[in-house]
Amino acid sequence: MDVIYEVIDFLLPFEWTEFYFMKNALVAVVLITPLFGLVGAMIVNNKMAFFSDALGHSALTGIAIGVLLGVDNYLASMLGFALIFALCISAVLDSGTSSADTIIGVFSSTGLALGIVLLSMNGGFSKYSGYLIGDILTVQPEEIALLAAILVAVVLLWIPFFNPLMLTSINADLAASKGIRVRLMEKLFVVVVAVIVTVSIKWVGVLIINSLLVLPAAASRNLSRSMRSYHAGAVGISMISGVSGLILSYYWGTAAGGTIVLVAAVIFFVTYLIGKITR
Amino acid sequence: MKRLAAALMAVFFLLLSSGCAVRDTDPPRLRIVASFYPMYIMVLNIASGIEGVQIDNMAGQQTGCLHDYQLQSKDMKNLESADIFIINGAGMESFLEEVASQLPGLFILNSSEGIELLEENGETNPHMWVSISGCIQQVENIAQVLAQKDPEYAQQYLENAEKYVQRLSALRDKMHQALDDLPHRDVVTFHEAFPYFAEEFDLNIVQVVNREPDSQPNAQEMAETIRLIRETGVRAVFAEPQYPESAANVIAKESGASFYFLDPAVTGEDDPNAYLDAMEKNLETLKTALS
Repeated sequence: MDVIYEVIDFLLPFEWTEFYFMKNALVAVVLITPLFGLVGAMIVNNKMAFFSDALGHSALTGIAIGVLLGVDNYLASMLGFALIFALCISAVLDSGTSSADTIIGVFSSTGLALGIVLLSMNGGFSKYSGYLIGDILTVQPEEIALLAAILVAVVLLWIPFFNPLMLTSINADLAASKGIRVRLMEKLFVVVVAVIVTVSIKWVGVLIINSLLVLPAAASRNLSRSMRSYHAGAVGISMISGVSGLILSYYWGTAAGGTIVLVAAVIFFVTYLIGKITR
Repeated sequence: MKRLAAALMAVFFLLLSSGCAVRDTDPPRLRIVASFYPMYIMVLNIASGIEGVQIDNMAGQQTGCLHDYQLQSKDMKNLESADIFIINGAGMESFLEEVASQLPGLFILNSSEGIELLEENGETNPHMWVSISGCIQQVENIAQVLAQKDPEYAQQYLENAEKYVQRLSALRDKMHQALDDLPHRDVVTFHEAFPYFAEEFDLNIVQVVNREPDSQPNAQEMAETIRLIRETGVRAVFAEPQYPESAANVIAKESGASFYFLDPAVTGEDDPNAYLDAMEKNLETLKTALS
């Protein structure tokens, strides 16, 4: 970590990098945002924006279950619940009884309501309301290491699975005819989304985590003309809005997560206009 | 299909009716409901050993301060059958108007009457029980009104209160003795629970970070606080155990100050000595933090 701090001090000798908590936040943002760009691009492609939103909401329930079980680290209980939750949604979706948005809506509200009920049962909701907004400023070096590990894991996973995942999302029948195990691909993707949403929820917050997944990809979509430029654009826009949002939040005295999302939203509308004009 | 619907409906109503508990056959003589934990502990001491008194803590043991407390239907039910509702007052119970308008017959005892309130930015600070003197006054207020309301046992309420007040003031003296000569008096606290406490023991709260307890401070606020601590040489950053400590921890680490928990005794065990125990613990914390 010390090396990273020195690099930051050398490259960015500004007021906002004076303190370690901002350096830590910067490193965390630089790790989280490409992850979100990468996975977000796939989410938008699969029309699963609502699904990742539901997963974010389920984190509250995961915390509540952790509280009830008396564990100190809510990550395990959140992750466990998010995985079950995600696979349940996916299974019900597969059965094809109702449309996707209805099914996800049902799960999303059930998860959120269950979380609120369980957490308010003992009255101490204020202790967990921090999870709604998230707090990137208190990220610790060991947690940064975890984020880095997940980024590496997702990138490694993407190398062999990108093409099959992509084909599955474009045309499942075609993918199946090429010998791709479609169901497995879908489940794999759902699990990846569940993991990154859960791990980053503490820093990004339940309320805005989905905007960070969806906005950069949506913005990139406005401009890109190829698969490659779409994904690269999503990662780039995600990183740009993450870092500039963090810096702006420092000078404006605003909440980091919200500022980052606002920057991403501005980029979305700018790219929307550019896309309108140039196409 | 019709049969299924009928069966479902039957189950539904069955569940509904099983929710209606049968009333206690032997109702208490006097039902006192305290709005939240500090009040509850006071009443536990004042009404201790008095026959037929039932004491209830409306918000529960773990709620903490009533910031943004949402009245639940079980609370209204609880208050409906109460004879006396004991509140902290000074704006702590933000739902009070609602209660008063829905239950006009409920006797509400404001325990902070006559206490001089601290004000910041035009808002009164309701955490007076955190100073022992404030707590003593509240105990006396409550005891007096209970003695009037339940005259048969007036003597006992007053005696109980006197005994408790004696223990409280003994602890206050002990804390003064231990703390008055400590060299460092500047502290930074998280949330707004400690002004009365600081006034009592002549501590100087340089900065209160994050007045609203359920959000985290933003980067600017954190940076300013760190600079302030470095400049003024504040030795200790205090947070309440009831709220997440992560930001306080980060600030303490980065500024070189030490981080401690200071307990405003707003959550805890169902034990009449809880307040005294919490303050004893605070005393030990302050002794290490400020010497």
